[in-house]
Amino acid sequence: MALSKEIYRELEDIVGEEFICSDPAIMPSYHGSDLGAVVLPENTVQVQAIVKTCNRYKLQFSAVATGWTGSFKKDIVYIDMRRMNRIIEINEKNMYAVIEPYVITAELQAECFKKGLHFNVKGAGSNCSAMLRGHGHLDQSTSGDDRNHLAIEWVTPEGEIVRSGALGSTDEWFCGDGPGPSIRAILTSAVPPGVTPGVFTKAAIKLYHWAGPPKYDIQGLSPKYTLPEVPKNMMARYYSFPSVEKMWQAEIRLGENEICMELMGFNVSMVAANIATCNEDDERIFKRLNKEKKGPGFFVIIAGNSDNDFAFKKKALEQIVREAEGESMKSLEDPETEGILIAQCTRVTASIRETFRAGGAFSSIPIMSQRDLTIKWAIGAGEAKLPLIKAGHIVDDGGAFFGWGVEQGHVGKTEIFCKFDPANEKAKAAVEKWSKEQGRRAFDESYFALMMGEVSDDIKANMCHYDKWWIALTRAFDPNDVAPQGGPLV
Amino acid sequence: MGLEQYQGDVNMCCRCSACKFIPLQHVKSYDFSYVCPSISRFQFHSYSGGGRANIISAGLKNGFNYTDKFLDIVYNCQMCGACGVSCNYAMDMELQEPINELRIKCVAEGKTHPELERVIKTLKKTGAMVPVQGKRGDWAKGLDLKDATKEKVDVLFHVGCLTSYNKDMHKLARATAQILKKAKVNFGIAGDMETCCGGRAYQMGYEKEFLKQAKMNMSMIKKAGIKTVVTACADGYHAFKVLYDKYELKGDLKVLHITEYIDMLIKEGKLKPKKALDMVVTYHDPCRLGRLGEPWIHYKGKKIPGDRFVFDPPKEYRRGTKGVYEPPRDIIKSIPGVKLIEMERIREYAWCCGAGGGVNESNPDFAEWTATERIFEATATGAEAIVSACPWCEVTLSQAIEENESSLKVYDIVELVAKAL
Ligand SMILES: Cc1cc2nc3c(=O)[nH]c(=O)nc-3n(C[C@H](O)[C@H](O)[C@H](O)COP(=O)(O)OP(=O)(O)OC[C@H]3O[C@@H](n4cnc5c(N)ncnc54)[C@H](O)[C@@H]3O)c2cc1C
Repeated sequence: MALSKEIYRELEDIVGEEFICSDPAIMPSYHGSDLGAVVLPENTVQVQAIVKTCNRYKLQFSAVATGWTGSFKKDIVYIDMRRMNRIIEINEKNMYAVIEPYVITAELQAECFKKGLHFNVKGAGSNCSAMLRGHGHLDQSTSGDDRNHLAIEWVTPEGEIVRSGALGSTDEWFCGDGPGPSIRAILTSAVPPGVTPGVFTKAAIKLYHWAGPPKYDIQGLSPKYTLPEVPKNMMARYYSFPSVEKMWQAEIRLGENEICMELMGFNVSMVAANIATCNEDDERIFKRLNKEKKGPGFFVIIAGNSDNDFAFKKKALEQIVREAEGESMKSLEDPETEGILIAQCTRVTASIRETFRAGGAFSSIPIMSQRDLTIKWAIGAGEAKLPLIKAGHIVDDGGAFFGWGVEQGHVGKTEIFCKFDPANEKAKAAVEKWSKEQGRRAFDESYFALMMGEVSDDIKANMCHYDKWWIALTRAFDPNDVAPQGGPLV
Repeated sequence: MGLEQYQGDVNMCCRCSACKFIPLQHVKSYDFSYVCPSISRFQFHSYSGGGRANIISAGLKNGFNYTDKFLDIVYNCQMCGACGVSCNYAMDMELQEPINELRIKCVAEGKTHPELERVIKTLKKTGAMVPVQGKRGDWAKGLDLKDATKEKVDVLFHVGCLTSYNKDMHKLARATAQILKKAKVNFGIAGDMETCCGGRAYQMGYEKEFLKQAKMNMSMIKKAGIKTVVTACADGYHAFKVLYDKYELKGDLKVLHITEYIDMLIKEGKLKPKKALDMVVTYHDPCRLGRLGEPWIHYKGKKIPGDRFVFDPPKEYRRGTKGVYEPPRDIIKSIPGVKLIEMERIREYAWCCGAGGGVNESNPDFAEWTATERIFEATATGAEAIVSACPWCEVTLSQAIEENESSLKVYDIVELVAKAL
């Protein structure tokens, strides 16, 4: 349903005629929802004016960056942040970047690499907003999620502009918690379902040292991009182990010794997806790697700041792996493949290949907790996938899971997904059932699991009724109930 | 053919936005990260390749509602194929083809653009996509070239509408003739008998008119016993090589772009650029010579039921891998004194000049905006000139240069070669 003429005109006055639309023609490209209107603000003042208008008319709104995923209620005002895509500052000295929501990771990374810097990239990939945080491949060296936000400029659900931390007192971006107001507990996340109410308009994110080259010298033509050689003082390896316990032993020691730029617990199916340039290749490479592997494994990239640093890291890595009876998968040591994996897994450009390419859909259960325990949960979830694979409902990945540790690796993310064809109703139903059962099992075993849909009361009780507190808190900020509530927070 | 065959493909779109950008691994800066002019200019997701796929997917399910906005989305696209290349880095699905088919469907259902209608009316009347001044063969006056429709030649040089009728572009045809003569190629032209290749009509969605032109051309070619066609226009190249093949009209006609032909002549020692030109240039890949210039793949097969979007026999996608990228670069490098510096967006992920898909005619401001972006990128390399291999690129880029009072020069590659001989 389109907005009333009066409201539409008011919003049009804010963003300009060219940047508002409620024509049904565009709706399929906006998640297929029958939105009230899509508006494209250019700056914080416009965002604020939109939010205030929404409050005045008690109209719900949602702010969205690339909008890779998500479903949005009909009739809402969809604030597409596309035009807010500026890199405001890359502060080399204090190692932070101030950006707007629609700067994508690939862009910020390109600019940061030139300066010998990088930042946490959520595993979703370089096609997503660099500002909206998450967890990903580089978590061991860049930490993850809310650790990486410094000061934030936030338009509250009522349309006030709040500047957190140092920004609120001295107009500087270097700290999110003081000397100005710290509102970290509210500005939790933008990865569904933990969506912060209101709109982030700018944020400073932490930068880290980048030991890789200022740019990769990519060769070849799409879909096969290679590096002419493995960049100096960088190395990528996939290690597989005789057991999960042994794998964990190596993983935690590598974390504690801060050896890796990246430690990603890819399964071999995901490695295959990274290398393969089409679905058929993907299947072939997976079968080969599945035979070659010793057992469960992980993918590692090390990068030295000097020849000595690299030599030390390599030696330590190899010793730790050896002591855990791990072995490098030889076929992946081929320099061309190694180069592909280094470029792809530092820039995080293959998540689309890993998830959507096969059948067009995937369903995932990410669990955040102590890595060694969540791995055990994931083994069970993987076993529960096997009948679906056998029935041909989901892509054969050997029933595998993946994940990675954050910082020193004790806490981390463990995730498991099923790839399937969404047009296949039987497959869809089987995957939904699997997802429900395994999500439930995660809660029963007291892990944080990200679940879509309604969460049952006993789970909420187990989480100290956090959902009630959250709702009460967001209501206080949002008396007109216009901001997105997010999903079931746990 | 038809849009329906792509239902499965458009349903595969996962809204990842890769289609908006150059392949993500190639992003080297904030300034030149985008590849799709339409999303960059019009901003709503609907103008991106993925947005278009979403619209097609919904339309095939629920029917199409041709609102003004819908048609604005449909016609504000250069059909340059860049979205497809970026998508196909990661995904196995057709993207450019359903976008082409949507245009064709709109035209077939009378949902046309008035400016494009006007162009097609001219085509029907004159056999040309541009206003006709004088005769098609006027550019060749005094050159004493063979008439390929009457005399036996090894090569037909198909000149194209813009070069033939825009007097400022006659220099390209004359330079091409000069080069071919110098290499002692037994070539001819069709002169006043030449007619439009139909390629730009196809880009605008006018399939019927395209087919009429294609059949006329192939009938003339067959009658004259011509085995090889060389075009100096990327649109012409794409039409003869890819579209005629797609519609099974090409037979075993050999189609070469002038850059492929000159490159071959240089490598065979039949041409030798000798004069030093002392200039720093950058090269602009025309979309229909580059990513869209790769051969058509005839495919018949069925989706294998099950978990993956795979086909029996396995489907090979046109991902821009086999376009013409090296010959023009090799030619430039063979000219003494010329230094080539690359822009950031090149080869299969080159930024379009803006002229394609009828945008030049339907929305000249958008065409110029697109060309201006390219001019900025070329200027950022430090080059003094941008070299292309298509008259449409040259005209559009020149206009943007003039409008922006830039000091950048524009050359077609044949001009450089002719100067250096
Ligand atoms: C294949 C795949 C893999 C993924 N892997 C990971 C992973 O490894 N780690 C991880 O952390 N996440 C992962 N995700 C989740 C991912 O981060 C989200 O899907 C996210 O939507 C990506 O796009 P984006 O960053 O542009 O955010 P958007 O999709 O634009 O937004 C995400 C949410 O934030 C809200 N939002 C957007 N902009 C603003 C704003 N300015 N102010 C307030 N709210 C806003 C939106 O309403 C939406 O609810 C994955 C997703 C996919 C599809």
